[in-house]
This record gives sequence, C-alpha cells and structure tokens, in this order.
Amino acid sequence: MTDNLSIQLLAIGYHPEIMQVLHRLMNSHSGWQGDIALSLEEGLQQLSDKTYDGVLLGVGVTPEDEATISAAIEKQQLPTRIIRHYGGGSGLLENEVRTVFENLQHK
Amino acid sequence: MAKYIYHKEDSRHHEYNEWLDSKKTFSFSDYYNPKRMNFGALRVFNDDILHAGKGFGRHPHDNMEIISIPLDGSLIHKDNLGNEQVVTAGEIQVMSTGSGVFHSEYNHEQATTTRFLQIWIYPSALNVTPKYTRLALNKEAFDNQLSAFIAPEADTQTAAVQQQAWMSLGTFNHTRTFEYQVKQSGNGAYVYVISGQIEIDGQQLSAGDALGISETNAFSGKIISPEAEILVTDVPMTF
Repeated sequence: MTDNLSIQLLAIGYHPEIMQVLHRLMNSHSGWQGDIALSLEEGLQQLSDKTYDGVLLGVGVTPEDEATISAAIEKQQLPTRIIRHYGGGSGLLENEVRTVFENLQHK
Repeated sequence: MAKYIYHKEDSRHHEYNEWLDSKKTFSFSDYYNPKRMNFGALRVFNDDILHAGKGFGRHPHDNMEIISIPLDGSLIHKDNLGNEQVVTAGEIQVMSTGSGVFHSEYNHEQATTTRFLQIWIYPSALNVTPKYTRLALNKEAFDNQLSAFIAPEADTQTAAVQQQAWMSLGTFNHTRTFEYQVKQSGNGAYVYVISGQIEIDGQQLSAGDALGISETNAFSGKIISPEAEILVTDVPMTF
C-alpha cells in the first residue's frame, strides 16, 4: 500500500453526519487512513490531489456518480479501487475493505 | 438441480461481552470469513441476545434493509425519523435505511435478556427515502404453514422491503410435511430453524441450523419434532 503501509481510503458520501461517523471509523482502524468528501466535485478533486488505495462510495452516491468517479480514475490511471459501501456504519465496512485488499494480495 | 449450503448452529461466529451475546452467520463487523459473506442478497443474519437494559447506542445506517425479529423479550427503538416504538416478540420491525437514518436499539426489559434476529438484505435501489415499519404478526397465519410477513409490497399481513425479497414464518405443532415455492425465478431460500427439528432433502436441521437452497423453484421438508418454528428468507441470488 502507499504511505506508511497504511491503506489510504477516500469515502465519498453526501450525508454529513453519517460521513463524520465513517471518517472516525476509518481513522480508528489500525492500518487505515481515511479522508471524506461530501460532494462528487470534492471527491473528484481529492482523487486528483492525493493517491488513494480505495474510494468508498457511500450514502447518496448514485450509479451515475459512480460512473463519473470510475471514468476519472481510469483517465488519470490511478491505482484506486472502487468499493461500494453499504450499511452506513461499522457493520460491513471492515469486510468491504478487506475483501478488496486481501483479494489483491492473493493475486 | 437444487444447490444447498448448510450452516450448522455451532459454525456461526460467537461473540460475547458484557452487553451482547451474538451469533453471526455471515461476516460482520470485525468478524471476517471470506467463505461466509452472504446468501444472495441476504448479507447479515445475527442471532443476538441483549442483556437487561443494554443495547446499541445511536448509530447510522444507509442503503440496507434491516429487519429485527424479537424471539423473546422486547426492543425499544428510537430513530431520527421521529419513531419511538417498543417491539415485542410477536412483532417485527423493518428499517429501509436508504438515504440515511440514525437509530438506537435497546433491550426494553430491565431484568431479563431479549433475543432477536437481526437480518440485513441488500436493497434493489440506492438512496431511497428512509422508512420505518413495525408490524404485529398474526399468529394464526403461521399455524402449521409458512406464511409471508415481509414482501416487496406491504399489505395487511406483510411489511415491505426495498428488494424482491420475502420472509415467511411457520409454527408447526405436529409432525407433518411442508412445501415451499420460491417466490420468483432466480431467488433462493435460506431456511433457519428457530426451534425444533426438521429435515429437508435428507438434511436434518436442529434449532440454530440453516440450509440455503438455490437453483430450484420449490422444495419440501418434514417436521420431525413435536413442535418446530422455522423462518424462510427468500432473496435474489444475484442483485
């Protein structure tokens, strides 16, 4: 992974209070560092400014937004993996991230 | 030909702490087992016991259908949609969390535990308007037959979820056979034994055991104990 061997995550979602919880959860997890973006524009900007291992698509992000994010990642040839986040809290978060990155390690 | 996946009661992940005794069928929170991720759109199936007066503090959810089924005791639910409800055994609650909801769930019993099934189903559409439903189950509807209480469309007997998913209960009080028709092509049925013993296609199931059945339109089973209660969760296998 990138900096300090931590998994660098960007979570994009449009519900500020839920995203604050996600921010806290990401940064309280050993081996993860997380940023949040509260709009599509902000998310695209952050993807341009910093290299992330994964981008979590959270509450409010539509399939059309996902296509825009995917196109931006492809255009900039970023190593960022897209992870659709369901549930809005800690229930599935670790599983969703581990599924992507443990699968990568086994390839 | 039907495909089966058998989950024995003691194969579930067991966590115990001062407020919660939880048996998790599928990976959840910091329990991660790539072989236990889901059964189609059924993603979480936790059998939880909350200690007296304890519970889950205020926390968020989105984009998930969350069904709580108290098996004994009662839960007190509060959410930021303005709902404050006590849900007792014989009732269920459904949260379509969609574009976001905050809630808490506590054991409403101050002296005894409450056991409930916490079930999460992936929604068919993202970011829908959140909705909360509490439904009193009509016990007679489940006498010696499987009857739906969750469906894509609500009616007098069912609460709605945002998915082509159904949940049915059956309370059997004598040895007999039963048949189940899968609700739509491409769905599978996850049969969970709440109490008693049953047999499906040669597989015996006791309380806490489950059998996922897919790639078939129907199956039959046999009640092999004097009494049994079973729960069938019928979900799309691809979604």
